[in-house]
Amino acid sequence: MCRRRKKKYENITFLILLSISFSFIIWRFTPTVKLIKNLVYCFSYSSLSLVDYVFYSSENLTKGIKSIICTSRENVAYKQKNLELTDKLRNYDAMVRKYDDLLKLFKLTKVKNTISVFARISIRDPNKWYRWFIINKGEKDGLYNELPVLVFSKKKGALCAVGRIVETYGSSSKVALITNAAYAFPVEIKGKGVNCLAEGLDLNLLRITYIPCDADVKAGDEVVVSELSSVFHKDTPVGVITNVSKEPSVDFKTAMAKVFFETDIIYEAVILIPEIKI
Amino acid sequence: MKKIVYYLFLYVFFSMFQFIFGRYVNVFGIFPNLILIVVVYLGGLGRIIYVELIGFLFGLMWDVFSVDIFGVRALMFTVIGYLVGKFCGDFNFDKIFAQFVVVLFANVVYWFCFELIHFIIIGKVNYMLFFVDVLCCMKIIVTVLATPIVFYVLGLTDDKRCVAK
Repeated sequence: MCRRRKKKYENITFLILLSISFSFIIWRFTPTVKLIKNLVYCFSYSSLSLVDYVFYSSENLTKGIKSIICTSRENVAYKQKNLELTDKLRNYDAMVRKYDDLLKLFKLTKVKNTISVFARISIRDPNKWYRWFIINKGEKDGLYNELPVLVFSKKKGALCAVGRIVETYGSSSKVALITNAAYAFPVEIKGKGVNCLAEGLDLNLLRITYIPCDADVKAGDEVVVSELSSVFHKDTPVGVITNVSKEPSVDFKTAMAKVFFETDIIYEAVILIPEIKI
Repeated sequence: MKKIVYYLFLYVFFSMFQFIFGRYVNVFGIFPNLILIVVVYLGGLGRIIYVELIGFLFGLMWDVFSVDIFGVRALMFTVIGYLVGKFCGDFNFDKIFAQFVVVLFANVVYWFCFELIHFIIIGKVNYMLFFVDVLCCMKIIVTVLATPIVFYVLGLTDDKRCVAK
C-alpha cells in the first residue's frame, strides 16, 4: 500500500515536472529568460566594471599619494636650499653694495665680468675679406647674436675690435666685421673725448664721421670704442687715424682710420660673453 | 533533512563544477556531462522523487546558462532521472560496464530527444548527429569514460546504493 502510494507520488511529481517543462517549451519562455539573463549579466558586468574602476582608481590614488609625498619631500629640500641661497644672496648684495661704495670712494672703474670663448676662424672668403668670416663656435658653446668679437693685435698688444656675431648655428657662427660697409658703430678719439661714428668701407679702412670741426684730431690718433656702443666694451681699441679731411664749409670733419686687426694674420678670435647677473 | 542538505550540496557542487569549472577547463569545448552522470547515479539509488526534482532543477539551471530553447534540458533530465529510477532494479551499478551502458544510453536519449525537440520547435534537425558530428560523439565518449570516476566519488558520499535485486 505504502509502496503504491510512493509510486503514485513519483508519477504525479513526474507529470507535474514534465508539464512544467513542456509549458516552458511551448510558451516560448526563451526570450523572457534571455532578457532576465541579460539583465543579470548587465548588472553583474556593471558591478565588475565598477570593481575594476574602484581598483583602477585606488591604484591611481596610491600613485597620487606617493607623488604628493615625494613632492613634499622635494619641497622641504628645496626650501632648505632656498634658505641657504637667500642667505648667500643677501651676503652677495651686501658685498656688491660695499664694492660699489669702494669704487666710488677710490674713483675706480667697475670691472665687467665676462666669459671669454676662444674660437678659430674656419672660413674667410677672399672676395668678402673685409665683410665677414666664420668661426668654429656656436650655440653649443653659449654664443648668440650681437656678441662682440675681438682679436689679439701683436702690434698693439691688446684685444682689438673685429666685429660682432650676426648669425649663430650649432657649432659655428658668422661674424660681421667692423670694416663691413653695412656696419657702423660709435667710437671716440682716445684721450680727446671726441665722440664720432666709424663706418665700414669693405676695405681695411674705416671712415670716421661726425668729427666736430673744432676737434683736434690728427693722423696717428687712436680710435677706441665709445661708451655709447651696445656691442663692444668701452675703450676697446679699433684703429688709428691715417688722415683727416679739411673742408671748412662742412660742420663735421671726416677721417680715415686703419683697423688694428689688419696688421696681423687672424687665426683665432675671442668672443666676450657677459655674465648674466642673477 | 540530512537528505535535503546532501542533495542541495550535490546540486551546488556539480552546478559549479559543470558551469564554472567546465567553462574554463575543456578541450575544444568537450567536457563530460557531469550532471547527466549525477542524475543517473541518483536515479540508481531509487529515490525517484528526489532525482526528478534535482534533474529538473539541474536542467533549469543549464537552460538559464545556455542559449537553447528554455525548458528542454529540464525536461530531458527529469525524464532521464525518472526512467533510470524506474529501471534501477534491472541494473547493477556497482559494475562499471553497467554504469557505462546506462550512461551511454542516457546520453543517446538525451541528444536524440534534444534534437527531436529542436526539430519540432525550430524545424531543423541534424540527422547524422551521432555519426558525423565528431564533437557530439566525443562529448558522449568523454562522459561515458568519466562515469566510473564520478560514480566512485559519489559512492564515497552515499553508500546506500540501490542494489540490484
